[in-house]
Amino acid sequence: MTTTSARAAAADVVIRTAGLIKDYRSARRGRTTGHVRALDGLDLEVRRGEVFGFLGPNGAGKSTTIRILLDQLRPTAGYAEVLGATPAAGGPAVRARIGYLPGELAMQGRETAGDLLEHLVRLRGGRGSGRIGPLAERFGLDLTKPIRSLSKGNKQKVGVIQAFLHAPELLILDEPTSGLDPLLQQEFLAMVREATADGATVFMSSHVLSEVEIIAERVAIVREGRIVDLDDVATLRHHAGQQVALRFADPIRADEFAEIPGVEDVEVTDHTVRCLLRGEPDALLKAAAAHHVVRWVAEDRELEDLFLDFYRVPAGELHAEAEEVVVHGR
Amino acid sequence: MAVDTAARTPTPAPADRNGARADGTRLPVARWVLREQRRSLTLWAISLAAITAMYLAFYPSMATDEMEAVMAGLPEALMSGMGWDRIATGSGYLESTIYGLLAPALLLVFGIAAGARLLAGHEEDGSLELEGTAPVSRRQLLLERFAALTFGLFVLCAALGVATLVLAPALGMEVTSGNILAATLGLWLFVLAMATVSFAVGAATGRRALALGVGAGLAVFAYMADTIGEMMAGGDWLSTISPFGWYLGGDPLTQGVDGAGYALLAGLVVVALLAGLLRFERRDLGV
Ligand SMILES: Nc1ncnc2c1ncn2[C@@H]1O[C@H](COP(=O)(O)OP(=O)(O)OP(=O)(O)O)[C@@H](O)[C@H]1O
Ligand SMILES: [Mg+2]
Repeated sequence: MTTTSARAAAADVVIRTAGLIKDYRSARRGRTTGHVRALDGLDLEVRRGEVFGFLGPNGAGKSTTIRILLDQLRPTAGYAEVLGATPAAGGPAVRARIGYLPGELAMQGRETAGDLLEHLVRLRGGRGSGRIGPLAERFGLDLTKPIRSLSKGNKQKVGVIQAFLHAPELLILDEPTSGLDPLLQQEFLAMVREATADGATVFMSSHVLSEVEIIAERVAIVREGRIVDLDDVATLRHHAGQQVALRFADPIRADEFAEIPGVEDVEVTDHTVRCLLRGEPDALLKAAAAHHVVRWVAEDRELEDLFLDFYRVPAGELHAEAEEVVVHGR
Repeated sequence: MAVDTAARTPTPAPADRNGARADGTRLPVARWVLREQRRSLTLWAISLAAITAMYLAFYPSMATDEMEAVMAGLPEALMSGMGWDRIATGSGYLESTIYGLLAPALLLVFGIAAGARLLAGHEEDGSLELEGTAPVSRRQLLLERFAALTFGLFVLCAALGVATLVLAPALGMEVTSGNILAATLGLWLFVLAMATVSFAVGAATGRRALALGVGAGLAVFAYMADTIGEMMAGGDWLSTISPFGWYLGGDPLTQGVDGAGYALLAGLVVVALLAGLLRFERRDLGV
């Protein structure tokens, strides 16, 4: 790659982390000065204008990554960059261009939701003040209620609204739809689409793929502080493969289907073969053609299933497996 | 479905960050914090003024010859330690009831709790997260919250001072207004110093309980050291190192402003604040 194109590519990267490591001090009670490694060499690149899904199970390190990007946490080692500067160096000037929804949104106080939103707008020099009313209406939020009296979902609405108010060029959303009912989730997705249509970049975390796959172009799966898979959603679908079931006229020997390339999880019960097919079906079909095929069923697997695979396998094995998948997936 | 018509503004350079804000608001953080506190501040101010008035109203019945006789029977060390030796004089009465006892005690309760809450407390309960990720530097966030703490204590001391200023001459206490102002200034500095220590510990650690503990511990030490120092022969040095001694050791109600003592209190405020700020700018927030 030439220097100029490298530079052009760099300009289009909105979030970049390289070998990001974060240790939390732990075991305060036990008086041991142990550390919990929350991020263990996290590499990430989010490009301008895309919707990027950041997925992983509880405790994977999603919120930790995000709070480093917002300069709430300082990395133990490694590098992080948002909108062209490290979070600490970028400071308020960079944060002015970001809309952030915390994963653990805590709001207290007797002040009303409207007053809080006005306050947050003032912290941004008044930008977005005119949008409080329309957005509240859109989400059905009563601005006159005291914050502490709001339900979880209503607090989440306040959180979502304040992130979008100033029409930021980068939205960093930590589990944005948690607590929102399905109707409001749709409304939220519509807001994300409008924001990206206007050129905004969206980086959002979630536990569930189905929530992200609708709008995200690319998805990273994080486990135990590392990215174990990074793909565009189309490729991920390809990896997900098909669940195939073949029924034969005669009983089948299990070993016949054991070693076919692209075929996994073979399960033989006298007349029937069930397996997971990734890639082309050719080899499987040729093996099947040696017998009398009575019935053939091939279902696209839900992405969620693949996602669950990533969740279940111990992370150590995953690093190896993820590479393997990429090799025959492309 | 409502249509959002507001156009996405092309990213403006955030040049308006420090200067004139679009809606003309300055110190947005401090204003918000004070706004949240306005009810409790009002109640505290009224209560402090009322308690002051109540105690002052007893003064005419204390300034009698019988009282002097009762006092004369008490051990001298106790008398001077508690400031009772001069209780029948206006300044002595003011010091032993309001300025040396009730006012600091009540204000310390408010100030240390507020100091611990305004940073560590709000950090622990998560309400600092949205502010800390807004385009506000950590320094600005801390200093504005400190300004709110300072102003809140100023309001309370002012309520107490005004009540004294109005009532003392009316009850014939023979304390000059200048000395009342001096003592009130000292009271404010003393309470602010203790509250700032609590605030700074919270800023440095993010632990509200620790901030409360250190603030309260220092306040108790300050009071005990000064009181014991007054009572004990050769205990002067205890008063000398006590912030409470810096406040009342120079007898502001009769002698006016104690330059050295007040400077020490102000110095403690600055040092604690800077130490807290230094750590606050470097550490992880909300962990
Ligand atoms: N303040 C803290 N002190 C110590 N350990 C922490 C702290 N915060 C997080 N951790 C640990 O760091 C790891 C990553 O946590 P993080 O909150 O980033 O996960 P997450 O992906 O956001 O999870 P979730 O989906 O539950 O929100 C976890 O093992 C967690 O226990
Ligand atoms: Mg989280």
